[in-house]
Order: sequence, then C-alpha cells, then structure tokens
Amino acid sequence: MEKAKVAFFDFASCEGDQLQVINLEEDLLKVVEAVEIVSFREAMKGHSDDYDIAFVEGSVTRRSDEARLKEIRKNAKVLVALGACATLGGVNLLKNFQEAENVRKFVYGDKAFQYETYPARPLKAVVPVDIDIHGCPINRHEFVMVFKSLLLGKKPEIPNYPVCVECKMAESICVFEMGMTCLGPVTRAGCGACCVTEGSYCWGCRGLVDNPNADSQREVLAKYGLGLRDILNKFRLYSGFSEVAQ
Amino acid sequence: MALQIIEKSDLAFFVQNLMDHFQLEGVQSKGQSVYGQAFFYGTIRSPAELCLDFDCTVMPPKKYFLPPQEALFRFQTGPSPACFECRPNKPLVIFGIHPYDLKAISQMDRVFAAGTPDPHYLARREATILIGIDPTHVAPRSFWASMEAAVVSSGFDLMMTDLGANYIVETGSEKGKALLGDYAKVRPATSDEVRQRVSQRSHIADMGQKRGLTFPKREIPILLQHSLTSPLWEENATKCLSCGTCNLVCPTCYCFDVWDDMELNLTQGQRLRRWDGCLLSDFARVATGENFRGTRTSRYRHRFYRKGQYLFFGILDDVACVGCGRCAAFCLPDIADPVEVFNRLKEKLN
Repeated sequence: MEKAKVAFFDFASCEGDQLQVINLEEDLLKVVEAVEIVSFREAMKGHSDDYDIAFVEGSVTRRSDEARLKEIRKNAKVLVALGACATLGGVNLLKNFQEAENVRKFVYGDKAFQYETYPARPLKAVVPVDIDIHGCPINRHEFVMVFKSLLLGKKPEIPNYPVCVECKMAESICVFEMGMTCLGPVTRAGCGACCVTEGSYCWGCRGLVDNPNADSQREVLAKYGLGLRDILNKFRLYSGFSEVAQ
Repeated sequence: MALQIIEKSDLAFFVQNLMDHFQLEGVQSKGQSVYGQAFFYGTIRSPAELCLDFDCTVMPPKKYFLPPQEALFRFQTGPSPACFECRPNKPLVIFGIHPYDLKAISQMDRVFAAGTPDPHYLARREATILIGIDPTHVAPRSFWASMEAAVVSSGFDLMMTDLGANYIVETGSEKGKALLGDYAKVRPATSDEVRQRVSQRSHIADMGQKRGLTFPKREIPILLQHSLTSPLWEENATKCLSCGTCNLVCPTCYCFDVWDDMELNLTQGQRLRRWDGCLLSDFARVATGENFRGTRTSRYRHRFYRKGQYLFFGILDDVACVGCGRCAAFCLPDIADPVEVFNRLKEKLN
C-alpha cells in the first residue's frame, strides 16, 4: 500500500504545536515510517504540493493568508487544525477586542503602515476543517491518536467532556476549593488536566465543549468572586471567537 | 473471633508490617483547601502517612477495583490474529474505609457479579483486603445515617473503632483473622471495651443524623415513581454544567466507556475502558449520532432514578446511594445533593 503523504504548515503562531510533533521522541520514528512527510518547514528541507493530509498550525491574521490557506485546502484530502491558534484563533484573537490602530502601533511602532493585518480568526472561519487537535500546545498523545485514526480511516475520538473529568481521574483537589477559579467545567478535555495537576488552573486553551452551559459557568465564577469583566476576560483568552466571549 | 484490641502505640507496628508484606493503600491528607484538609486514598509509605480520623475522602476507594482507565485485553490483527489477557490480581490492603464506602463496595460487588460477571473487577476485589474504620468526624454534606450506612456488619475483613485509648477490632473474614494473627499485636477486648464500642457506635450514628432525609429511605423508589414530571428536574438541570463530577466522585457510579487503541504499527492494540458518567453530554450518544438523553434535564433526572429505582429493583433491593455526600460537596452549582432533591420531591408530593 502506498504511504499517505503528509505536510505541515503554519500561519500566525509560535510554532509550538509543530514542535510538540517533533518532540514525540520514540513515536516520532514510527510516525515518520508510517507516512511520507513531504513538507515540514520546522523539521526538514524540501517541499511538495502533492499531499493527502495537511496539518495546519496558526490563526489567520491577514487577508493575504486566505489564498494560501485555500490552496492548502484544495491540495489536501484531509485538513487538520493543529493547536489553539488554528482551532480557536488562540491568544492572537485578543487583539480583536482592542483598537486595531493601537495594536499595530504598539507592535510595529512607526513602521505599522508597512504591515497588513485584520482581525484574527481560526482556520474554520476561512475554509472547512476536518479535524481539530486542540490545545496550547497540543497534547502529543492526542496528536498520535488522531494520526493513527487517519491511517486507519476512522473518525478520531476527540473528547467532548470537560476537564473536570480528567481532573477527577487525576485526583486533583478542585481549583475552586483552593481559592482559585477555573474554566475546567466548560473546557474540552484531552489534556489530562495537566495545568491543574501541576498546581495551576484551567485557562481554557482547548476551547469549550460542544454544548457548554456558559450561563451556569458564569454564575459559578461570580459565586467565587469574579466580576463580569474578569469572567469575560477568562473566556476571551482562548475562546474569543465563540459567542460566549462576546 | 472475639473482638480484639490494638493499642494505639502498636498501630505503627501493624501498619509497618502490612507495608512490608503488601502494597498498603490508605487515606492521606493531600493538602489544605479552603474548606479544610483534602483527603485521598494513596500508597502508604510510612506509618505516619496513614490518616484514620478523616471525615470523608475526595474520591471513594472504587479506583482500586475499577481504575479510571484500564486495559481489558491486548490483541493482534493481520494474518495470525490473537488475543492476550490482561488479568489484574495485585494483592492490596486498603486501610481505613468508612462504613458507607464499605457498603458501596458491597453494592458494587453485587452489580459486577450480576448478569455477565466482570472478571477484571472481581479479580481485583478477590485480591484486596479491606480494613474498615468507624468515622470520628462527619463531613459537612454527609448523610450516611439516613442511608443506613452509619454502621456495617459485613463487607470488610477487619473493622476498627477508635475508643480513644485504643482501637477495637472486629474480624469479618478468614483473611482478616490471618492478618491480625500474622501482623498485629492484639489482645482480647474486655467486656467494658465491648460496651464502649456499642456506645461509641451509637454516638457515631447520632453524629451522622445532623442532616438527612425527612422520610424513610425505603420510600425513595415509590417517591420517584410519582416524580417523573416534577418541575424540580428542569429547575436544577438548568444549572448543570454536565461536568460529570457527581458521577466521578460517587462510590456507586460505575459506568465506563470502551474503545480500541491501536499501536502505531496498526497491527497490535489494546481494548481499554475508562470511567464514564451519565451526566456527560455524550454518555447516551450512539454511533449514528443519535443521543438518547440529549438534554441536561433528562441526564440530571436519570442519575436519581438510577440510584433510587433502577438498581433498587432486581439487583440491590436497596437505594444505590450510601450518603457520603461527595456529589453534594463537589458540585459547583450545588444541585447534586440527594438529600435536597429527595426531600424537596417529598415536600412537593405531600
């Protein structure tokens, strides 16, 4: 059987999700063996437009990005969004809630006029996306799971339950009981509740579950002392594109 | 075997001996939360780590018999397909289980033995020795007295009660008897100490009455029979986060999901199972995409019927709730408390 051809691409991002792929350790060799990687700027030389599966990191932040993304979509049989910037818009989207001119001047100073920009958005706002691998950064195990599903020709099982489930499995003390607040109850699991397990709280980097009870989550956050502004900011950090954050 | 006494000064000797001969699991404080200490079951590595005066652990001991995730078997596909057993039987001693959790384990034993017996659960149960301890403190949301779980007379290998100066120990099985004989320093209890145990246990039952049902537990199935269309379900479910916490912390919630995980070579793999929960939105979703309990209300209501009716008839002849109060304590919108729900249903019915 001919090996599937795989390509990696990136838009506005820190490229940390591709780094997670390179960081697969012993699994990386098996991944490389199972497919033919034809393009992966962060890891190798060479490029080909002949590929079956495209993993795309980053959010779309310029009108000129759209044509390139549409070209990738046209070439690929399967397009996978890789990481929070690609699946949600990610932290890049924070600029959407500020005055565009101020943001441009803050970043580029008096050269701002040289740089094109527009409101940041996830890939799915521009082209149809087949699979989302969430996270900032992605969970390597989940990448391998999706990768295997693609090779087997089956739909990957991306969790649609919240981080609370993995938190309970990891036997962490609930963040709310530690005097902090957390987006875990409405955030899609799949990270193994890593932030809470390490003593922090859930920032919501994997986005919301399919049918979040945002009203109840807002009430809970308010009950634990968060004002409306803080609540909105919490949702906006990663899920600025969802209606919950508007 | 008559009741035995372990002096408090000899407890460390017993614990150390168990550590030397078994994997010893027990209650530990994992740190301070804003509500007090957070207790969890974990591996005991020194006698000082073992806590016996906890009020309630965050997670019940069910993980020892039904781990959050486990491999059911390994397999190989291709021209010579094969299947390999994953049969767990690591011997364990769990030291310090409250009566309500012992009762929950007894109920789960019946559930997992009924119908098609579950070999994984049963093998783990078989390999585990349970040492119970009567509570000295009641967690704020517990209501185990209402659920007739303040005291248990079976379902343990050893059962200890703190009498202040020492522990009085009841033997519940041959395994328990051997454990005491081989690893503890004991002496027979005096008749005074036996009487002290009786009064201590009735004191515990009184402590447990601080909150509870306003009506006898056995009426729950009939109450539910008349409450199918109660507005309470939707009223509470509107606030439900569908986070599954009430399921996951429950000692009698045992549902799981099963799936196959292939290796990257795509020829070998394993069949896994993982905790699931009926409050999670996709719990009743099937392969075609249909979801048989697609609304929060239907999922929320289901849990109470599962506890109060579905398991009652046929398998347990009892309510599948032991009154630990974990669901109530850890539900962020605070809608999961069975005492609140059952009492309110009763009120509305009257």
